[in-house]
This record gives sequence, C-alpha cells and structure tokens, in this order.
Amino acid sequence: MARRPILGLFDSANSAADAGDALRQAGIPDTDVDFLTDAPYPEGAFGEREEKHRLYIFPFIGGLLGLTTGILLTSMTQVAYPLVTGGKPILSLPPMAVVTYEGTMLGAILFTVLGIIFESRLPKLKAGLYDKRITEGYIGVLVNTEETQHGQVETALGQSGAVEVKRESGQ
Amino acid sequence: MQEGRTLSTREINRDLLRSILESPRWFWPVVTVLGIILLVAAIAIGIMVNRGLGVTGLNRPVAWGFFITNFVFWIGISHAGVMLSAILRLAKAEWRRPATRAAEVLTLFSLMTAMIMPIVHTGRPWRILYWVFPYDFARGIWPNIRTPLVWDPSAILTYLTSSTLFVIIALIPDFAVLRDHTTGVAHRVYTLLAMGWEGNARQWKLQITAGVLLSALILPVFVSVHSIVSWDFGMAVAVKTWHSTVFAPYFVVGAVHSGVSAVAFVLILLRWCYGWQDYIRHEHIDALGRLLIVVATGWFYFLIMELLFGMYGREADELAVRGLQFTQWPYNAWFIVFVVTTYFIPVILWLSRAWRRNLWIMSIACISVNIGMWLERFLIIVPGLVNKQVFSFTWADYAPSPFEIIIVGATFALVTMLMLLFSRVFPLVPLYDVKEGDILKTEVKVGRRTVPATFRED
Amino acid sequence: MASSGEQQHGGGHHAGMWVFPVAERVTAEVTGRTFAFPSGYKLALGVAGILTVLGVIGFIIKLTSSGFGSPGPWGYYAGIFSFIFMATGAAPLVAVAFRFTKSHWRRPLSRVSELFALVGVVNVILFIPLMLALPPILNPAAQGTELEVRRTLWFEVPIGAPHWWDFLGLVGLAVCSLAILWLSAMPDMAQARSSATGFRRALYGLLAGSWYGSKRQWIHQKAGLAMLGAFYFMLLVFVQFVFITEYAMSMVPGWKDSVLPPMYTVMSFQTALSLILVIMFVMRRWGGYAEYIGVSPFWSASKILLGLTLLWTYHLFAFFITYWYGRLEFEQNIIRYLFTEPYLVLFLGNFLFSFVTPFLLLIWNPLRKSDWGPTLAGCFALLGAFLFNIRTFTAAFNTGDHYEFALSRVPAAVLPDFGDILIILGGLGLAALVYLLAAKLIPNMSIWEVKEGAKYQKMDTLMKADYLVLAKPE
Repeated sequence: MARRPILGLFDSANSAADAGDALRQAGIPDTDVDFLTDAPYPEGAFGEREEKHRLYIFPFIGGLLGLTTGILLTSMTQVAYPLVTGGKPILSLPPMAVVTYEGTMLGAILFTVLGIIFESRLPKLKAGLYDKRITEGYIGVLVNTEETQHGQVETALGQSGAVEVKRESGQ
Repeated sequence: MQEGRTLSTREINRDLLRSILESPRWFWPVVTVLGIILLVAAIAIGIMVNRGLGVTGLNRPVAWGFFITNFVFWIGISHAGVMLSAILRLAKAEWRRPATRAAEVLTLFSLMTAMIMPIVHTGRPWRILYWVFPYDFARGIWPNIRTPLVWDPSAILTYLTSSTLFVIIALIPDFAVLRDHTTGVAHRVYTLLAMGWEGNARQWKLQITAGVLLSALILPVFVSVHSIVSWDFGMAVAVKTWHSTVFAPYFVVGAVHSGVSAVAFVLILLRWCYGWQDYIRHEHIDALGRLLIVVATGWFYFLIMELLFGMYGREADELAVRGLQFTQWPYNAWFIVFVVTTYFIPVILWLSRAWRRNLWIMSIACISVNIGMWLERFLIIVPGLVNKQVFSFTWADYAPSPFEIIIVGATFALVTMLMLLFSRVFPLVPLYDVKEGDILKTEVKVGRRTVPATFRED
Repeated sequence: MASSGEQQHGGGHHAGMWVFPVAERVTAEVTGRTFAFPSGYKLALGVAGILTVLGVIGFIIKLTSSGFGSPGPWGYYAGIFSFIFMATGAAPLVAVAFRFTKSHWRRPLSRVSELFALVGVVNVILFIPLMLALPPILNPAAQGTELEVRRTLWFEVPIGAPHWWDFLGLVGLAVCSLAILWLSAMPDMAQARSSATGFRRALYGLLAGSWYGSKRQWIHQKAGLAMLGAFYFMLLVFVQFVFITEYAMSMVPGWKDSVLPPMYTVMSFQTALSLILVIMFVMRRWGGYAEYIGVSPFWSASKILLGLTLLWTYHLFAFFITYWYGRLEFEQNIIRYLFTEPYLVLFLGNFLFSFVTPFLLLIWNPLRKSDWGPTLAGCFALLGAFLFNIRTFTAAFNTGDHYEFALSRVPAAVLPDFGDILIILGGLGLAALVYLLAAKLIPNMSIWEVKEGAKYQKMDTLMKADYLVLAKPE
C-alpha cells in the first residue's frame, strides 16, 4: 500500500496540538506526524516527537580540516619563500597563529552551515503537500501514512477543529 | 520589558513585508540621489587611477590617511552585527528580536565598503591581486603570511563569509513567507531561495540551534577581525604610539561602541521610514542606550590605558607624538572633539531614561559617537606618521585632498544605498523572530501587579 | 509548590536545572543552616586555622632572615597576596554584576559572593608588608644611572605614591564591599534576629535594628546596592590597574604593557567566578543547600566562565604577538624571562590550567549542564591563576636592578624557600578562615533574593508541555 500525505490546517495552535493527541490515540505513530508552523514553538509544545540531530559534529570536523589547511598553508609558504624579516626565524609559530586561526574558524563555520542545511533536509526539491496559509499563522498538521488510515486521520483532524483537510491533488 | 501590543501573524507579515511588496514614494528618488553621489565618487576614483595617488594629500611620510582611516572606521561599524545578534542571542535577551537582521546586514555592507578602501588606497587596484592571492606557482612567489597585511584579508574574508552565511541561514524561513506572498518571477526566485522550507519541527529546531551555534562560532571571528586590523599598526615598531599591546582589545571595544551606535541610528531610521513603530519600540532603543553606556565606559577605560602607557615609557620619540596629538594645532582641537563626542556627550545623554526614549536625542548621541570614532582612527594613524623620525629628511603635514573627501563621503552613500536596496527585496526585521517572541510571551501575577514574563527552554 | 520531588521540575526539558525553594520555609532553613556547626565545617575551620598559624611562622622566618631591605625575598609573598586579592577582591562583584543584569539564576550565589567583603579586610592587612618591600620610585643611587625614577605611573611622584594611594584604594574597596554586604544582608539579619541568640542577636540588632521592610526601605536598599556596586566596580578596576602596574610591571625594566591591567582584571573575574562555583558546589553537595542551588547557576555561569577564559587568552596573545613582532632586545628578554626560559614550567602550567583545560571542559554541553563540570573547570582556573601570580610577581620582584631603562639580561628563576612555602599555605589558610567564619556570622544565603525570586519564576504549561517561566519586572 502506498503512503500518502494528508494535511490538516488549524487556525489555533492549541487545536493543532489537540489534533496531535487525537492522532496518537488513533494509533498513528509520532514519526508520521509533522507540525508545520510559521514560527518556532518551544520544543514539545505540540507534544511532537523529539528531533535528534548531529549538528554539533560538523563544526569539529570543519574546524579540524580548516586547522590542517591553515597549518599547511602557513608553514609551507614560509618554507617555500625563505625571506628573513626583522631577524625572525623563517619557520615560526606566532605569525602562523592568525591565518591558522582564521582557517579553523572558517572551516568550522562552513561545515556548520552545510550541517544545518543537511540536517534540515534542505533543499527539498520536490514540493510536498503544503498550504500558503501556514505563513499566515495557520498551523499545518501533516500526516504521512498508509492510504487505508486516511479516513481515521481525517476524522481525527476534523474533530480537533481543522479548518480544512487537504489531500494531494490528482489522487 | 515588553511594551507594545500583541500583533496577529497577518499584521506582522503585512507590516514587515511592506518594504518589499510596496515601494514607498521616497524610495527611488533617494536611491537616485545616492547613485549620483556614487557616480561622482567613481569618477574621482577614475581620475585618481589615471593620474596616480598624487591627486590625494598622501605624501612622505604620511602614506596612510583618509582612506585607511575610513577603512578602520567601516570595519568598526561592521562589528555591530555580531555584537548584537550573537551576544544577545546567547544571552537570550528578548529585546534583540527586531534588531538582529538590520545589525547583521549593516555588518555585511560595511565590511564590503571597508574592503573597498584599501583597494582604492593602493592607487593601482588591479595589483591588489598580487598581494592577496599571490599564489604564483610559475614564479615561485608566495604570500608573506608573516605580515599583518596578509592577516587582514584572511580575517575579513572569513568574517564576511561567515556573516553572509549567518544572514542567509536566518533568512530561509522568511524567504518561505515571501514565497507564499508573491507571484510571477519574484515568486520563482523566492521559491528557489527558500529551498523547499515548510516549517516543520525539525527545521525549526535546527534553525534555532544554528542561530546559537553560529553565534558562538562567529563571536571569536568578530573579535579577531578588529584585533588584526589593530595589528596592522601594532606590529610596527618604527611608528611611535602604534606599538602598544592594548591595541587589539581597545580597537574591538571601540568598534562595538561605534557599531552599536550605528545600529541604534539605523533602527531609528527604519522605524521612521517604514512605520515600524510596533516592532522597533522605545524599549528597544532604550535597551541599546543602556548597553552603550557600559560599552562606552569600557572603551574609555581602554583609551586611558592607551594614553597612560604611551607616556609611562618616558621614551622621547613617543612623547613627541603625544605632544603632537595633545598640544599642536589642529590635532589638539580634533583630540578634544574626539573625546567629547565619543564619550562625554553621548554618555551624558544616555544617562537619562527619558532621553534614551527620545529618538531625536538618541540619534544625536549615536551620530556623535561615530563622529568621534572616525576621529579616533584618524588621530591614531596620522600623528604617528607626521612626526619626524630619525632618518626621514623630507616630511610634511597631511591634509586630505578633495578626491579623498569625495571618496570617503561616498562610502556613507554606498552603505545607505545597499541597505535600502536590501530592504527592497529582503525583510530587514526577521519575521519569525518577532513571531517567536509573541509565542513565548506570557505574564506572571505578583499580588495585584502583572509582570511580563517569557517561556524559556532552559 | 513542593520543595523537593519531581513534580516541580516540569516536562523533562530542563529537569533538575531549576529549583524553586518554598518561600515560607526559606528563613527558617537558611538561618538554621547558618547557625549549625556540622563536623565537616569544624574540620575545615581547624585546617584553615593551622595553616594560618604556619603562615604567621613563615612570615616571622622571612622577616628575621631577610627584612625589607630588598624586594627579592618578598616575591612569593607578593604572588600569594595578588592571588588572594585577585580572587576575593573581584568576588563581591559577581553578585553586583548579575544583580545588574537582573539574572534570576544569580539569587543563590549573591551572598556567597558578598561574604568575600570580610576577606577584603584581610587583603588590607596582608598588603602592609608589601608596601614596605616595594622599592622607592626615586632611585636611591640616581647619579650615573639611566633613570632617576623607575618607570612608573606616578609621573611627578606625588606625596605617598604609590604606597599610600594603593593602600587607600584597598581600604576603599574593603569599606565599599562591607557596605554592600551590610545593605544586602540587612533584611536577612532582621529576619534571622528572632531565631538568633547571644552575640549574633546583638549583632543583628545593631546592624539591622531599624529594618522593618517598608516600601521606602526596599527602594532605598536596591538603589543603594546599585550605586555602591557601580562604585565598587570602578574602584576595583582602578586599584587592580595601579597594583599590577606598580608591583609587577614597573619592577621589570622596560616592561611597557598596556594590556596587562585589563588582562589582570579579566583574570580576576575568571578567578572570582571559579571560586564562587567551587563554594556553591560544596554548599550544594555537602552544605544542605541542594534545594536552593539548582544546576542552572552552574549552567549559566559556565557560559560566562568560558567567555572569560577565552578573553584572558586573547589578552595574553595581544601582549605576546606585539612583543614578539617588536623584537627589540628588551622585548625578547622580557618574553624569555617571564615566559619561555626561567619560568617556563610555571607559564606552561598557568596556560594549561587557565586556558586549555577549562576551555576543553566548557565547550561540552553535557558537562556544562552538570554541577561538577563547571566546578572542575573552576578548580583548574584557580590553579592557573595561582601559577600566574606566583610567576609574575616572583619574576618581577627578582629582576635585580629595577631602575634600568630596559631589561638587558635574563635573570635566573628564584625557587621558594621554607618560609615562602609556609607563607603561601598561611595566606590561603587565612583567607579561608575568615570566609568560613563570615559564613557563620551572617545568613549565608540571600534570603530576600531567594524569596523575591520565588515570585518571578515558576513552571507553567504552554500547550502540551511545561516550561520555565521567568518574569522580569522593569
């Protein structure tokens, strides 16, 4: 059986959260339900599942790569063009510090940004079931489930006060 | 802390997207005037490139003048963005919400403008490539990473890249709003930019985590940028008064001082231009004023350190430069103006709550700070160079030529124009941040009084 | 609301981070704990007392063997004084700073921080021998030498400079911090008066007799605390600036380092916050204050500790890179003397404990969300600051000719003798002894602040989960 999305639109956050409860009672697992909002609600406010991510690893990897690049770049260029300035040693650490530091931070930040995009599962190339009113303050409850359960889902959404229940067009 | 009325999502969208969806009558005339100023400056730069740096007031021994002063000034302004959005985000200050985006964008444009200055200053801008990217494999010439002049681009480019990404990441949810509110070509562009954002719990969680994590990562970069700019001067032994260990923190605090003042002024302008009275409220400007008292006083402390330890050494050549700064016309007059406008005028104005909430007075105070901070950089750079050194036999005082004045003046027009154009296509007040503030807003009853409160996640 | 148990901790989003003491029981509990003498406390008091006695013996040994003829033998004394002054001088400021930012998590640590006011008196007493050991600004052998005076802040050498000015500063700090403590503890002493007996009852009557908690008194108390706090802050920064310049920088010929005073001040904030974290940990774990001190003060303070740690390193680097690049002979000598040659081990220890270990500990979220993680980082930071002060002052006091224009050689390191070791132990013991006594004299938890906090913090439900609600009255 194919899994199809179904979207309930709510004009109040509380009824959307109630819909979450109703769906749970109807036996729809948490992993199939998403709450679409136009602003971040505190975690757990809809009683939704906890989202795990590994964002914190990204800056470490990026920082390490940046550090390595920085050290290689600064040490190798100093050795490659051995020009004594101000009686300082050709290869010395203090002048390398700044460029290496910037390299590390740049690496960490670039990887963090990549991590954010990757962990947010963006870019989402194929547009899913969505409604423009969500950015007008409506709350969307997106349920991705077996078609056989759609009846149940629709009832749960409707009883919780959905303004509209949408299915994918052309189905 | 939270005054203002609660607004519906629809109202927030309508108000904050106003700058994009409808353009005010004054918009294009203002942009045209700014464009004309920029055109004049471009012509001045053209003549300068054609004739050489002789058209400027620069000469031996004063090789750094208005351009470099202006470079340091704009780098300073660029420190406001991260200062506000990162520190206040980490500190969970509720009043940061409407101010963050404008501050970050001001960072971007002032950094870009700052980068133009040394390029113009070289006189033969195309040659800058050999300095910044001299990876010339054929001739075996490598950049001298031991010089602060190479550290500078590395730090500034890192800061520019990271602040740009910071702004873009925070814009994604707002792109989605724009996507849903536009049609035609604009709709297609915003759809592309929004990358399919739909606002589910995972995306929001990462958006919030990213804000905190990127803030924490950019903060050390932000501190390094102005430190490295200060080391352009501090690493040199030859020019007296430059070789001071306190330069790095002194420059950073000064940059925050001028940058935050600039942001306060920009917010006042935005409030006035786009009618955002419900978003940029007196309480926000008030909070910025209180923050600025602390920053200004910290800056003053570092100023005292710099001056006192300049004389502490009792070295004759250093004292000579101090003499130039304090006693000789016109530097002594500029010095007095500098200290009074940077510290005494604004801080006295900020001490009164009523004055902090008066937008005219706040504007005066913020502009005063920036006049002073521009002079500060000038007074650090020029007197040290003007002073005759042991083996310099031709030396002269410095006065800027009209070319320098035009080009420096035009940088202000450039930043203003870039900000205006940005506000035409992207929201300058983050929509979702404002909406989140409204969601988290609550109240606590203590006896008969209702105290504003917020829901917190930790 | 119950004072213990799980129901107060909400929906698991910050379980155990915040605790909300019951307002009705606060006075009785805090005074009860303040007036009690558990065996652990008695042991600590005994150890501190013995160390203090050893310190006095060490001081007598030093005095009889060396006298005040030259500053050299007093290097370690200066180091331990500076360490105590650094930590305890800045400690009262922690309460001031977070009261200023209206942070609710500060409430349980306010009094821990303010009690250091009494150690300020110790600082004044310990400073007197240092005044005697400091060589005069005017060179006694001025003829034929390069400078008639040491490099000094006191350009025209006003009367009493620098000794009496510094002394005045320290006295001012002590008086100001005592005033802060008195003003802050006044409502608490008034409340504790009913259950106090004997000496304490008389003391509370004297110090808080006129307090009856009227609106007017509260307004004046808060305004007074804010003004005294601002004054204390400015005075502290000034005294630290004069002290580190006069007793360290100007003793090393040619050491012109404008970033040293800010660095010393930043390090004092780092050290003071660390010390307070350690004391809070002890109070939470063994002092019976688990229901008052949640994890949230540790979590919030840890971010600030991380920031201060990074700032300290930044200031150090700003000095180092400028001197390294300058590369004048005396600059190289100063780097070699203070950092890379005779005192290398102390410097490495200082850097490791002041920066590397706290940094590595504090960047981990799970560690920062515990009570022991930030405390451990704080212990390291304290050790680092100790090594910093010993290194800086021992080196500064033993440069030999303090009237040279610039350091022309690298003097040898000076190891501590028996007297020095006793002095170090005694200094730490004395500070601890005074603090321990202070903690029994005045309610050691800010009763009024905790009670006030109970009104503005609670758990509340937003849709489907419970969250912390913090209210901030203007």
